[in-house]
Amino acid sequence: MKRRRKSRMFWLSATGCMALFAGLNGVTAVAGMSISDAPDEVTIDSIAEFYQPVAFNHAMHTDITSGDCTVCHHHTTGSPPKEKPCINCHNGGKEADTVSCRECHLAKPFEAAAVQEQQKDVDRYYHIDKPGLKVAYHLNCLGCHQATGGPVGCQDCHIRTEAGDKLFHAKKR
Amino acid sequence: MNPVSDHKSIALNSHNKADGSVWSLKEKFLLGLTPGGYLQAVFKNPVNWVLFAIFAIGLPLIAQRYLSGLGSVTYASNDYPWGLFLGFGLFGMVPLSASGFMLGTTVEVFGRHDFHPIERLALLNGLLGYFFAVVYLLVDLGMPWRIYYPMVISFGPAAVLFLVAWHVSTYLSVQIAEVAPAFFEWIGWLKAKKFIRSITLGLTIAGIILSTLHQGALGALFTYAPGKLHPLWYSGFMWFMFFCSSIPAGLSMVVVVSTICVRSMRWRCDENFLKNIGENTLGIAKGASLALITYLVLKVISVAHDNEWSYLLTDWGRYFLFELFVSIIMPLTLYTIAIKTRSVGLARFAALNTVLGIVFNRLNTAYIAFNWQIYQETPYWKEVMITITIFAIYFVTYRFILYRWPILYTWKGKK
Amino acid sequence: MERRSFLKGALSAGLAASVVKTEKSEAATFDGYPDGMGVLVDLTRCVGCRSCEAACNKEQGLPEPEKPFDDMSVFDAHGHGEEHAEGHGGGGKRRTDEKAYTVVNKYDVPGIDHPIFRKMQCNHCNEPACLTSCFVNAYTKTPEGAVIYNPDVCVGCRTCMVACPFYVPTFKYSSAFKPRIMKCIFCYDTRLKFGRPPACVEACPMGALTFGKRKELLDIGRQRIRENPGSYVNYIYGEHEAGGTAWMYLSPAPFEKVGFDTHLPKEPILNYVKEFLGAVPMVLTIWPALFAGFHLLATRKDGHGHDETSEEENS
Repeated sequence: MKRRRKSRMFWLSATGCMALFAGLNGVTAVAGMSISDAPDEVTIDSIAEFYQPVAFNHAMHTDITSGDCTVCHHHTTGSPPKEKPCINCHNGGKEADTVSCRECHLAKPFEAAAVQEQQKDVDRYYHIDKPGLKVAYHLNCLGCHQATGGPVGCQDCHIRTEAGDKLFHAKKR
Repeated sequence: MNPVSDHKSIALNSHNKADGSVWSLKEKFLLGLTPGGYLQAVFKNPVNWVLFAIFAIGLPLIAQRYLSGLGSVTYASNDYPWGLFLGFGLFGMVPLSASGFMLGTTVEVFGRHDFHPIERLALLNGLLGYFFAVVYLLVDLGMPWRIYYPMVISFGPAAVLFLVAWHVSTYLSVQIAEVAPAFFEWIGWLKAKKFIRSITLGLTIAGIILSTLHQGALGALFTYAPGKLHPLWYSGFMWFMFFCSSIPAGLSMVVVVSTICVRSMRWRCDENFLKNIGENTLGIAKGASLALITYLVLKVISVAHDNEWSYLLTDWGRYFLFELFVSIIMPLTLYTIAIKTRSVGLARFAALNTVLGIVFNRLNTAYIAFNWQIYQETPYWKEVMITITIFAIYFVTYRFILYRWPILYTWKGKK
Repeated sequence: MERRSFLKGALSAGLAASVVKTEKSEAATFDGYPDGMGVLVDLTRCVGCRSCEAACNKEQGLPEPEKPFDDMSVFDAHGHGEEHAEGHGGGGKRRTDEKAYTVVNKYDVPGIDHPIFRKMQCNHCNEPACLTSCFVNAYTKTPEGAVIYNPDVCVGCRTCMVACPFYVPTFKYSSAFKPRIMKCIFCYDTRLKFGRPPACVEACPMGALTFGKRKELLDIGRQRIRENPGSYVNYIYGEHEAGGTAWMYLSPAPFEKVGFDTHLPKEPILNYVKEFLGAVPMVLTIWPALFAGFHLLATRKDGHGHDETSEEENS
C-alpha cells in the first residue's frame, strides 16, 4: 500500500505542478468536471510542424460519446483509470487532475532527458510503454474513426504545411 | 605466331646467336625478328584476330567501368553483390592456379624430380592465374585504389577475407620468386637465380601453407551466408572441400595448358619436355583422380552430415546431382580409364572436363545456387564481356611469357 | 647468441611477466552493451504513411526519391523486372537501395481484413555479420546500440552485403570514384550519439516505432502481447535471430507472411565461420613440420640438394 501511495503522491505532485503550469497557459484543471465545462472547439497545435494545426470539433465528439468523457480522456476529467495495463495495479484508483493529453503524454518522449527521468521512477518496470503526444493523439482517435467511418487519411484532419510538402517531396499542387 | 615460316628462327634458347654474337634484350623480346617482321607475324595469326575483336569491345568497357562506376557495366544488384568478376575470375581461377603449390610440393618437398620438366609450366600457371585473379578483383572492387588498405590502413583480423588478402599477396610474392629463376636465366642474372634456388624448399612449404588456407578461405567466405547458399552446396566444412577440389583443378589445368602448348606451340617445346610430357600427364592424372575421389566422398559426407537427402529429390537436387556427375564422376571415370589404358589423349580430355567442372561448381556456389530462395539473376552482357576480355589478356600474357622464357624448353646458356 | 645472455634475458622476461598484472579477457562472455538502445516495430500500428521514409531521407541527406513519399503506388510496384520469389519480401517487394535506408512494404494476409505494412531497415544486430565479415574493420557496434559504418576505410569488396542475413546493406554502384555502402546508421551521428531517437521514430504518428533500451523493449513487447490477446503472434522477431537484433518486431500475422525470414539461425552468423577460423592456426602450426617431415622422409636417399642440381639437371 505504502508503495502505491508513494507513486500516487509522485504522480499527483507531478500533475499538480503541470496543472499549475497549465493554469498559467490558460487551461483550467479541476477534478470532477462536467460536460458544461467542455469547450466547443479545440485547436490542437502544440506539435504542428509538417501539418497544420487541427481544428478539433469538441462539441460534436461530446455529442457522439453521449457525454462519456472517458471514451477519449482516459482517467482524466474526474474519472478513475480504466485502461489496460494500468488497471492491473491502479484499479479503482484516484482520478488525475488534468484534462489535456499533453500534460501526461510528452511531445518529445524519447529525448535523453525524458528517458533519464523515466529511469528514476522506482516503478519503472511497470510504467513502460506510455506513448508520446503525437502517437497518443493518433492511437486514441484512429481506432474509432476506422470503426465509424470517420476521417482516416493524414490530410483529412490536418493539411500539410509547406515544410510538410518538402519533407514528402510532394508534387506541386 | 604460327604462320612464321621457320619456327627455328624464333625459338631462341640461349644468350648467343648462331654466329656467336649476343642477343640484345630487344632482340630477345622480339624473338629475333625485326619490329616489322614481328608485327607482320602478329597480324597473320588468326587467333590474334579473335583477340583483337575481343579487345575492341572489351577494353572500352573496362574503361567505362572505371570512369562511370560499377553500375554502368553490371546490374548493380544489392541482392547479388558478387557477379562474374568474382564468381569466375576469383572463385574460378584461383583453384585452377593451384598447380603452383601442387607441382612445387611434388618436386621439391616429395623429391619427385621426374615431374621436373612440367614443374615450371605449373608454377607459371599458378602465378598467372593468381595474378589475374587479382586483376579481376581490381575490376570488381568498388574502390580498387584502396586494395592495400587491409595490409596497412585498417585491420579486421576476424574476417575470412583478411586472411585471403594477406595470403594471396604473400603467395603472389612466393610464386614470383618461384618463377623468377626462369626469368633470371633468360635475362642472365645468375646470382639472383642462385639465391632463389637456395630458399626454394622454404618457399615451397610456405606456398603449401598459404595455399591450403586461402583455397579453404574462399570456401569459408560462403559460411557467412548459411541461409543464402543452397544447403546441398553449403556445408560446415566447405573450406576443406574447396581446398580439396583445388587439387584436381590445378593439376588438370596444367595438363590442359600443356596440351595447348604441345599442339599449337610445339616449336617452343624442347626434347626434354616432349619426351616426358606423356608420363607427366599420366602421373598428374593419378594425383588428380585420387583428389577427385576424395572430393566425391566429401560431397556425399556433406549431404549426410546435415541430413540433406530429401533435398536431392527437388529440382535443385537434380541440378546438384548433375553437377556432381559432370564435374566429379565423369572426369574421375575418364581419368581412371586413361591411367589403366595409359592413354594420354583421354587423360587430357579428362583434364579439360575437370577444369570445366570445377569452374562450374564455383559458379554454382558463388552465383547460381546462391540466393536460391529469391529470384535468379543473369549477368549483364557487359559484365560477361569484361570477364572474357580479362581472360583474353591472361591468355596473351601467358603466350607472351611462354614464347620467351625457358618454361617449355631448357636454356642453353649458363645456368 | 651467448648462452649466458640468453639465460639472463629469459629469466628477466619471465620475472617481468609474473609481476605484471594481466586482465582477464572478457570477450568470450560479453553479453552486449547493457545500455544499448533499440526500436520495437509494431506491425499492428503501421498504416503505411511513409513518414518514416520521408524523415530518414531528410535526416540523412539522401537524394530525391523517384516517387514522392506520399505516393502509395510504390507498394504495388515490382522490383526491376525480376519476379521475386516468396521469402525475401515475396512478390515484388521493395528493398533498401543507395537512395533509401528504409522502405515500407505492404502485405495482404488472408484472414486479416486490412493490409499489414512493414518497415525494413538495418536491424542493428548485437553481433552483426557485416561487422564480423569486414576485413578492414569498417563497421562498429557502438555502446548506444547502433551499427555504424566508416566509409574512409571501406574498399568496396561487398562481403558485408553477402554476410547480412537480412539483405540490408546497399552499395552506391552509381558512383565511380566515391562508392560506399549505404545503410541505416540509427541516426547515430546526428541523434543517437546525443541520446536522441532516430528521425523515423520521431516522425511516426502511430507509435509503430518505439525507441528505448533493448531490454525494456522486450518487456514492452511481451506486455503488449499479454495485454492484447489474439492481436499479436506470441513472438518478438529479433529477440534471438542472428544472435539478437536491436530492432525487433511484433506482428499480428505469422512472420513469414509479412516478409520475414523465419529460418534464420538463432545465433550470430559468425558462429558458422568459427570452424574455419579455428583451423587456421592449426594449419599454420602443423603444416611446416608436416611437410618438412615429408621432405626428409621422401628424399633421404636421393642426396636431394638444390644448388648442385641446378648445374646438372635441366632446371
